[in-house]
Amino acid sequence: MSSFSRSAQQWATFARSWFLIDARMQPPGKIATMCSIRLQGKHKPIYHALSDCGDHVVVINSKHIAFSGNKWEQKVYSSHTGYPGGFKQVTAAQLHHKDPKAIVRLAVYGMLPRNLHRRTMMQRLHIFSEDELPYDIQANLTEELPQPREIPKKLSEYTQEEIDAFPRLWTPPEDYKMK
Amino acid sequence: MVFLTLSCWIRSRGPDRYWKVQEVLKHARHFRGRKNRCYSLAVLAVRRAFVYATKARKLKKRNMRTLWISRIAAATREHGMKYPALMHNLTKSSVQLNRRVISDLAVTEPRSFLSLAKLARARQQEGFRAALGDGKEPSGVLSRVVMLQ
Repeated sequence: MSSFSRSAQQWATFARSWFLIDARMQPPGKIATMCSIRLQGKHKPIYHALSDCGDHVVVINSKHIAFSGNKWEQKVYSSHTGYPGGFKQVTAAQLHHKDPKAIVRLAVYGMLPRNLHRRTMMQRLHIFSEDELPYDIQANLTEELPQPREIPKKLSEYTQEEIDAFPRLWTPPEDYKMK
Repeated sequence: MVFLTLSCWIRSRGPDRYWKVQEVLKHARHFRGRKNRCYSLAVLAVRRAFVYATKARKLKKRNMRTLWISRIAAATREHGMKYPALMHNLTKSSVQLNRRVISDLAVTEPRSFLSLAKLARARQQEGFRAALGDGKEPSGVLSRVVMLQ
């Protein structure tokens, strides 16, 4: 890197990268914090609010997002159409059914700073509900970020040897009826 | 009539009005609207600008420090650590670099910054060993550095 000319070093430092995040089985809040940090450019030591150093972020599989707890039924997204009596409240499940990209988009929108750069940063965020990406976006991707949450294995995904190797906590008596 | 000749009739009300006005307008030339041309509007705008400049001298110090801290935090996260861990362990190893210098190192001297991060991580591991271990192991090299007053 020290062999670069000055203009090449400048270009390499300030170039805009494209990050890929797979949101399958991930909490949308954690995905949104990772996105907002990279959209603002806060992951770079050359960060400054005025230097437009944010990167592009592509989120895939936003349809397979996983809220923890009972948030699918309890989390409420409110909006107002502007007309009288137009206050709408929808649960996260209903909103996700109507538009699978909306939850991630609203989460990132709320995490960005409330200034005029927010709309530009949202234009640099690309959300896709499934795996398929258009060819031009796929050609631009530079780095894939690790997923924030480790996906736990289902019981059907464990092999029989692993299930047998797991230590038994207690042996039931002979006349015990298992459900 | 009191003033009988023209030279007595003409009064000089002060010869330097032009320069006194320019002294104020020169500070308003980059303003928007009539404030950059008309003296009465410019005086108020220039006074306000000077007040803002005076107050901003204290804010500048605060803003620069938050900028340094966010830059150092971004650079440490690139190396797998967090900002509070880095600063705490650097002070414990009696590295008395301030945030301005560390942020400049992070930008222009990445390898020196990496060595600082490794130093902080080593001191952190020594701290964990001292806290979680038996106490029979010798304390680490960096923990024995004396903090000079």
